Amino acid sequence: MRVAEKVTTAPSPQPGTGPVAGRSREGSLRRRALDWVPRLLGIAAILVVLEVCSRTGVLPRESFPPVSEIYGSLLGLVGDPGLWVEIGRTMRGWAVGLLLAAVLAVPLGMLLGASRRAFQMSRLVIEFLRPVPSVALIPLAVLVFGVGQDMKVFLVAFACFWPILFQSIYGVQDVDPVARDTARSYGLPPLARFARIILPSAAPYIATGLRISSAIALILALTAELVVGAPGLGRAIVVSQVSGSITQMYALILATGLLGWLLNTVFIAVERRLLRWHPSHREVAL
Amino acid sequence: MLEVSHLRKVYGSEETGNVAVGDLSFVVGEKEFVCILGSSGCGKTTMLRCLSGLAPATSGQILVEGNPVDGPPEDLAYVFQDYSRSLLPWMTVERNVSFPLRYKGMSKQEAKSATADALDAVGLGDRTKAFPWQLSGGMQQRVAIARALAYRPRVLLMDEPFASVDAQTRSDLEDLLLGIWERYAVTILFVTHDIDEAVYLADRVLVLKAPATVTTVAEVDLPRPRDQITTKALPEFARLRSELLSALRH
Ligand SMILES: Nc1ncnc2c1ncn2[C@@H]1O[C@H](COP(=O)(O)OP(=O)(O)OP(=O)(O)O)[C@@H](O)[C@H]1O
Ligand SMILES: [Mg+2]
Repeated sequence: MRVAEKVTTAPSPQPGTGPVAGRSREGSLRRRALDWVPRLLGIAAILVVLEVCSRTGVLPRESFPPVSEIYGSLLGLVGDPGLWVEIGRTMRGWAVGLLLAAVLAVPLGMLLGASRRAFQMSRLVIEFLRPVPSVALIPLAVLVFGVGQDMKVFLVAFACFWPILFQSIYGVQDVDPVARDTARSYGLPPLARFARIILPSAAPYIATGLRISSAIALILALTAELVVGAPGLGRAIVVSQVSGSITQMYALILATGLLGWLLNTVFIAVERRLLRWHPSHREVAL
Repeated sequence: MLEVSHLRKVYGSEETGNVAVGDLSFVVGEKEFVCILGSSGCGKTTMLRCLSGLAPATSGQILVEGNPVDGPPEDLAYVFQDYSRSLLPWMTVERNVSFPLRYKGMSKQEAKSATADALDAVGLGDRTKAFPWQLSGGMQQRVAIARALAYRPRVLLMDEPFASVDAQTRSDLEDLLLGIWERYAVTILFVTHDIDEAVYLADRVLVLKAPATVTTVAEVDLPRPRDQITTKALPEFARLRSELLSALRH
C-alpha cells in the first residue's frame, strides 16, 4: 500500500519540486505505526474516487486512465527488461553525480568548517554560485558535455554539491568544545582528534546532506532526461507521452515516485543504523 | 608535584579584558588531596584549564612534576565540570574509557585491563557496552572518573565533579573517590563550592576569592579513613567548617 501512497504525489515531475523533496522529515517509527490506519483509508478512498471518476467519464479517460490500468501497466513493465535498463541509466547518473559531489564537498566543507580564514575567503564565491539553479546550467552543460551521461552527471553533481558542502561546514563548526578539549587533554594527536571527535560529530550533518542530495540527484537526473533527452526513465516518460501510451506514461511516473521513496527509505535506514547514538535516532530511555 | 607561581589569566587584552585569575600561587605535594573552595565565577575552572594545558596562562609559571606546562601534560587527567558533554555519545562506556589509552602508549592488552579495572573501581563493570546517554547522571560521572583513572595519571584535576547529583549519590561518590585515591596513589586537586565536601575529602583546603587568589589555607587533620557519619560529627570538622565559612564570606 506504500506504493499507492506515492500516487498522490508522483504526477508532478517539475524540476525543482520533485516527489521526494517533501518527504525528508521522518517521524519516529512508533508514531508512524499509529498513523497507519487512517492513512491507508485515505489512500484507498482517493484511489477509489480516481478509478470511479475515470470509468464514469467525469475525468476524460484519454488523459486520466483508470488507476487499476496504470497499476496493471506497471506490473507488466516490471517483467520487461526495458524498464530496468532505463532505471539503471537513471540510477547511474544519480550515483555517479552524488558520489562526485560527496567526494568534493565533504573534504572541502570540513576544511571550510575548521578554518575561519578559509571560510571567509570562500564566502563570496559560495554565495554567488549557490543560488544558481542547476537547471539554468542545462544549456551550458549540453554545450560542454553533450546530451549524454556526462551532462547528467555534471548537473546532478552541481546540484548535490551545495547541500553536502553546507552540512559538512555546519557539522564541523558544531563539534562540542568540551569534546574537543577532552581529546586534547588526553593527548590525542591532531589526526586522531579528527578521526575520533570531529568526523563522528559531523557525521549526522553529512548524512542529512547526503539524504537531501539523494532526492535532488534523482530530480536532476530525471530533468536531464526529460528536458534534454538523455537516456533514462525521464526520456522514457516523454517517449510514452509522445507516442500516446498515456497509461504507460503514468506507470513510469509511478515508477519514478517509487524509486524516490525507496532511496529515501534506504538512506533513513542506514542513518538509523550508523547513527543510533545520535539524539534523533535514540530509543526512548529505558 | 604541582607548583603554581604567580599564575595570571586575562581573557581578552590586559587593559580591557576580564581578569579571571589574578595572582595565584600554591603547591600540591605528592599524593596530596587538595580541595579548592570558591564561589561561582571566581576563576576555578579557568585555573584548571591553565593547569591542564588547555588554555595558555597570561603570565606566571605552572610546573607539573617539575616540568613547565605548555600543552596537556602526559601524566595529568582532567575531569570536566561538564562531564556529560565530555563523554562521547558515539562510543560505548568501554570505548569512552579506553580510547585515550592507545595514544599514551599502552598496548591493546594493557588498555583492556586498565579499562576493566577502572570501570570495576567505579562500580560500572556490568555496563561496559551501554552508551553514556543510556546511563543516569551519577553513572555518567563515574564513567568520566573511570576514564581519568584508566589513564593512570599522577595528577588528577576535578572540577565540581559531584555538583549535579543528589545528596546520597554525592556522598557515595565521595567515598568512592577516597577509596580510589588511596588505591591508585594519585595527587588530586579537587574544585568544589561545597564546604562540607571540601573538609571531608581534603588534606588541605584553599579558599579562592575572585579573581582566583588564595585568601585562606586550612590544614585538615581529620583521621583517615574517613566516614560520612563519624568524621562529620567530630568537633574538629565543625571548627574547620565554620572557619572556612567565614573565610568564604569575607
Ligand atoms: N572563555 C571565556 N572568555 C571570557 N571570559 C571568561 C571565559 N571563561 C570564563 N570567563 C570569565 O572568567 C571568570 C571566571 O570564570 P570560571 O569559569 O573560571 O569560574 P568558576 O569559578 O569556575 O565558576 P563556577 O563555580 O560557576 O564554575 C568569570 O568572570 C567568567 O565570566
Ligand atoms: Mg567552573
